[in-house]
Amino acid sequence: MALDEVSLSVGPGEMIFLTGVSGAGKTTLLKLLCFLEKPTMGLIEMNKKDISRLSGYELQKMRQHIGVAYQDFKLLTRQTVYQNIALAMEVRYENPKNIKQRVMELMSNLGLADKVHTPTGKLSRGEQQRVSIARACANKPPLILADEPTGNLDAAATALVMDLFHRLNEEGSTIIIATHDQSVYQESSHRLVNLENGKLQEIIKVNFDL
Amino acid sequence: MRYISFILGQLARNSRHGWTSQVMTLFTVTLSVLIFSFFFLIYVNMQKASTRLGNELRLVIYLEHEVADAFRHEFKKKITDFDKVDKILFISREEAFARLHKQLGRDSDVLEDLDPSFLPYSVEVYPSSDLKSLSRIKEFSDYLETLPGAVKVQYGQEWIERFGYFISLLRIIVLLSGALLILTSVFMVSYTIRLTLEARQEELEILRFLGATDRYIRGPVVVEGFLLGLLGAGGGLLALFFLFQWIKNHFSGPGLMNLFELSFLPMTNIGTILLVSLLLCTCGSLISIRKYLKV
Repeated sequence: MALDEVSLSVGPGEMIFLTGVSGAGKTTLLKLLCFLEKPTMGLIEMNKKDISRLSGYELQKMRQHIGVAYQDFKLLTRQTVYQNIALAMEVRYENPKNIKQRVMELMSNLGLADKVHTPTGKLSRGEQQRVSIARACANKPPLILADEPTGNLDAAATALVMDLFHRLNEEGSTIIIATHDQSVYQESSHRLVNLENGKLQEIIKVNFDL
Repeated sequence: MRYISFILGQLARNSRHGWTSQVMTLFTVTLSVLIFSFFFLIYVNMQKASTRLGNELRLVIYLEHEVADAFRHEFKKKITDFDKVDKILFISREEAFARLHKQLGRDSDVLEDLDPSFLPYSVEVYPSSDLKSLSRIKEFSDYLETLPGAVKVQYGQEWIERFGYFISLLRIIVLLSGALLILTSVFMVSYTIRLTLEARQEELEILRFLGATDRYIRGPVVVEGFLLGLLGAGGGLLALFFLFQWIKNHFSGPGLMNLFELSFLPMTNIGTILLVSLLLCTCGSLISIRKYLKV
């Protein structure tokens, strides 16, 4: 069993760090939250709606409001960086002008401005990871799930990514980041949730005022 | 509008990846439509010719002796007792000779030494236009042969029978080529769409993760089948039109082709062929969507 007796409530506009060693269940929890996996039992509610009761169409619409940065990136390797990021906005039939503006902005924010027309298959893993993150953030969705978003990044790129997450969080997005990179949450004042062997071990508030 | 521009963009993207299979399918659909519509065109023209020949059909009763004026009314009544007729003409030997003279034209001098009474008396019967079937004409001919004084009845039976068999054969060919059109359109389009979908599996999976709706994913695929049908049928009909013009220009003039007065398919038939091809190709893409696209 990947997760057992996990009870977690996340408020709107919160940022949470989900920590734990490899195999602790972080990815499973994120997959459950974005409906990629179904729980064998239990209840997952989003906006007070039981997601297991959503129709196919409602589920698709709900997914449009969740940005997910996958650990394995899930990029279209033959398509360019621009096309990959734009895809998240295209499925919502966004205005092409807005798409272009937003994609260019994200690429600039994440240090990918010179890779617009490069197929993602030709990028380094670090660059691919940033494209995946840019796609997750493209719509400024109300919920962003990031699975090990800095796993392949150097310190400078990590700072760019975290800066983007913080900005979106300030704008109202709820963000859940699964990571075992301490540098990402060490300085943060946000909630830290630890998973161990599929069980929610502790919820610690870091950086409290003395 | 945004949806349409998205579909067009998606189609262009699909075409870049699978243009070879799309071109092959387009070619196959075009060829199928061309084959079907070619035979259909021949069939339509033959039907027209058949109607015209039917309208011009006459049965000639050759008589032993002339029917006297007093008995003509009774003779006519005996003919009309069997079936309705448009016209009955009593042809004297002199009239028959004059006709032959006219028909021979410049060669009429061959008749100069002949006695104008060498041709037999005859009666020309023009059956009603609703008397069309071969068997009914044959029955009528047999009946006319039983009339008093009738020696022989002629209506070009051999030629008419062969023409009738040819039309029946054409009908079978049209049906077979129609079946070919259905099979190729549905299966080829279905196969091409399947290839497209298989090539896009990874993309479709990602689209699902991003929340793409059924309409977003299926729309371009349905439109692809629709366009293959439209372009294939359009191409086939256009090719048929050029083929028709070529045949008309090269084979027109005195002879058999003049007899048929070739005409192209009427607009209603063109519209029907286009519509049926569209529907068949769209069906082909829907079959593949149902089978291979689990949204």
